[in-house]
Amino acid sequence: MEHLLLSFVMNKMNKLTRDILTLIVVSTVLGISAQAVLPNGIGLKTEITIVGDDSSGVAVPAVSINPNGDGEAAQNISLRNAYSAFENNTALFFDARSPEDFGSGHIKDAINLPVHAFMDSLTYLENLNLSRHIITYCDGEDCNASLDLAADLKMMGFSNVNFFFGGWQEWRDAGYPIESGP
Amino acid sequence: MRASLDNFLRSQHGEWFVRSIQIGLGLLFIYASLDKIWNPGLFAKSIANYRLLPLPLLHISAIILPWLELVCGVALVINRYQRAAYILIGSLLLVFILAITSAMARGLDFNCGCFSMNSEESNVGLLKILQNTGLFLSCALMEYRTRVVQPKS
Repeated sequence: MEHLLLSFVMNKMNKLTRDILTLIVVSTVLGISAQAVLPNGIGLKTEITIVGDDSSGVAVPAVSINPNGDGEAAQNISLRNAYSAFENNTALFFDARSPEDFGSGHIKDAINLPVHAFMDSLTYLENLNLSRHIITYCDGEDCNASLDLAADLKMMGFSNVNFFFGGWQEWRDAGYPIESGP
Repeated sequence: MRASLDNFLRSQHGEWFVRSIQIGLGLLFIYASLDKIWNPGLFAKSIANYRLLPLPLLHISAIILPWLELVCGVALVINRYQRAAYILIGSLLLVFILAITSAMARGLDFNCGCFSMNSEESNVGLLKILQNTGLFLSCALMEYRTRVVQPKS
């Protein structure tokens, strides 16, 4: 009796395991094949891009910067170059963090453009020249909002977009001009 | 309490009730998968934001996960391989709940990539965890019904 019960359970379990494996295999085959057909298909291997300041590079997936793999991806800008753009007043600094973080301290004259509320900023962005030099930043190396925002701006058609990966932390630690408030 | 739940689940109404949850969940997962299937790069970027997965597994996960959601969703709707499908979906939901919780605990703030790749979609947060817990419970209910009904069949 126990033996029968065990084999019954085993059979059930086997069928279930078989079914689960079937669904996984079907999904895998469909997923991989679809990449050849989809206009935005990606490769199986994760491509890596090194970003960061001149001295220290951080490996991030290429899709974080250029998710659709089309056109030219935004490039990283070092602290030194970001500061020189600031001094010469040649670039707009976009702070991709939340309004709360922005309020508690940001790069002087930066504009708050929270990446999650990108659509809210469209009217403002549409009035900018698409060749305007834009530098995005967020907290620092631990956040991706600057990359996301740079990718969104690139997709919108801005041609001269950099992300400052060192971000708020690196800028503040360097003692460069900052301000707080909305 | 439990006996009356069991009786309800065994009844015709109980079967319709669970079947409608099954179809609803299936349609939801089909819907959730489409945008990710169409934009695998954006979905990979979404997964990367969680900073949980080793980079070499990033693309392969972004390629397979949405198709798994679609295939399981279709299985639930057409009522074939349905038990395997809701077990897989339930497991995925558990992983999502853990991933969102861990992202919140680490203070990460980003779009979760749950239903679409639209950057306007809500961010990781308590609401997402509650939403996924509700969906997970519906998978648990389906499994519970299977176990209640099966000994009779």
